[in-house]
Amino acid sequence: MVTASISLRGVGRTFGATRALAGVDLDLKPGVTGLLGPNGAGKTTLLRLLATALPPSQGQVSVLGLDPEVPAERTGIRRHLGYQPQETGFPRGFTAFAFVDYIALLKEQSQPAARHAEVRRVLDLVGLGGLGAKRIRAMSGGQRRRVSLAQALLGSPAVLILDEPTTGVDPEQRVVLRAVLAELARTSVVVLSTHQTEDVAALCERVIVLDRGRVRYDGPVTELTGQAAGRVWLADEPDPAASISWRTGTGRYRNVGGRARDGVEHVEPSLEDAYLLLRGGSPEHEPAQEAAS
Amino acid sequence: MTATLTSGPPATSPGRATFTALAIRETRRLVLNPVFLFAVVITAWWTWAGRGTAVADIGLVNAFTAIFLGGFGMMATYWLTRSMRASEPVVGVTPITLPARTAALCAVAIVPFGYGCLALIAFLHFHSASDPAYGAFSPSARIAVVVGQIVIPALGGPLLGVALGRWVRFPGAALVLFLVFWSWVSLVTVVSGSHPDSVPVAVLRLFAGFTFFALHSDAGGVTAWRGSPWFFIGWQLALCAIAVLVALLRGAEGRVRTRIIRALGIAGVAALILLVLAALGGFTYPLTA
Repeated sequence: MVTASISLRGVGRTFGATRALAGVDLDLKPGVTGLLGPNGAGKTTLLRLLATALPPSQGQVSVLGLDPEVPAERTGIRRHLGYQPQETGFPRGFTAFAFVDYIALLKEQSQPAARHAEVRRVLDLVGLGGLGAKRIRAMSGGQRRRVSLAQALLGSPAVLILDEPTTGVDPEQRVVLRAVLAELARTSVVVLSTHQTEDVAALCERVIVLDRGRVRYDGPVTELTGQAAGRVWLADEPDPAASISWRTGTGRYRNVGGRARDGVEHVEPSLEDAYLLLRGGSPEHEPAQEAAS
Repeated sequence: MTATLTSGPPATSPGRATFTALAIRETRRLVLNPVFLFAVVITAWWTWAGRGTAVADIGLVNAFTAIFLGGFGMMATYWLTRSMRASEPVVGVTPITLPARTAALCAVAIVPFGYGCLALIAFLHFHSASDPAYGAFSPSARIAVVVGQIVIPALGGPLLGVALGRWVRFPGAALVLFLVFWSWVSLVTVVSGSHPDSVPVAVLRLFAGFTFFALHSDAGGVTAWRGSPWFFIGWQLALCAIAVLVALLRGAEGRVRTRIIRALGIAGVAALILLVLAALGGFTYPLTA
């Protein structure tokens, strides 16, 4: 019996002199866990470690109770793994069906009829049921992204690792994908990295914020959002007291962080507000500034 | 909440059914490859067009099969091997290991090998082994010559393409290697024509995946060169084994890697011995008949 869980103890990863991850301790159980962080925070490195694509430089990784550094156990993990990398290259001339079918074959689904049924199922799940015969190179970026996601969903894996799965995907499909992932997460460990905080807020019960290779926050999404309560307000002008402010579609300024003056119009904080606060007000830890207007 | 799922004992090699299905899939991709299709069609056309044509020596006609099935086959399998490189982040985390996928790719060489066998049968049908164009070789040695010139290159070229595809990133590597082979065979053939008695020249001539064993003499007749066609086949097969092992070495780990390296050592020694035997065996001097 294999437990659908992931455990990391003191995990670090370096690339030459660059430290991508350091001292990461995590325990992941069935459910959707969101991974947030700025570019270069180590999100992709962490996901590649979980997907057995990369060994750690330090520490211990255990997936489904197996050690990915032992070749036989790594194969055992991969039997129950779905992985969508940040960028998937596709071979020339392949249709969506042919590509996903090829990956299904590599996932040891050797019975043609059952395999084809499974390929059709996952293509339907990502909304590409009618485009299976279309060449991938002729598809839009969002459709290619969904082909990549479809292969990860093959066999309803016990561990699903998704690196920015919704990038370039239209809003309707994103909602559909959330439903698919939420259903799968009843029994599977789903870890997704994204820059779209609304996806995390809508889907994940737990969020991990990485910064410079270290875990900056690990806990419930609601708790992180709650940390921004009372620190987000609307005003007619950018408030110098705020860490960050920007002009919204209504023409008013949304001010986040800092100390709000009495009498300002407080609003419900979003996960994005909380994330920005956690990050120190701006993506690059710069002093308070007006991000956009 | 913790879910559990059943899992069999971890295995390092895919099941036979998966491997067979994968090999069939790769074979279908090879057969549909335009370069390979062209090689098959042009070989068939060339063999058919040459029927009933009197040739001064068989080297004038049989090299084309090696060029098309071996050379173009190498380029086709090189492309086939490289084609999944862009998808490696996905393909590389499936339960089928890289050496197992390489083995499936190596298995596709059975197709060009089969075509090579058919080409040999057709060649012998159109150019009987009793033809003086074969030179002074015995009837069995004549068969060995054409097997080494038609069938084995059709096997070895595609295997070399897989090995190259696993280790080399340059997209034009197969074409470059094909041109290097072409140049080498041309060079040593010219040198052999001017120094037919030389043992070192014979070794250089045989130090290739393809070689000529006879050349039409300007004075009339066909001059059979030094060397044993039988041992040359052995040398070629050893090169095929080395190509497979080098291809399998990519991504191999642990005990599998150790075994492959050990097998490579054995194949290397065997290849060396067979090359020496090929150079020293057969005729020990050029013979014109």
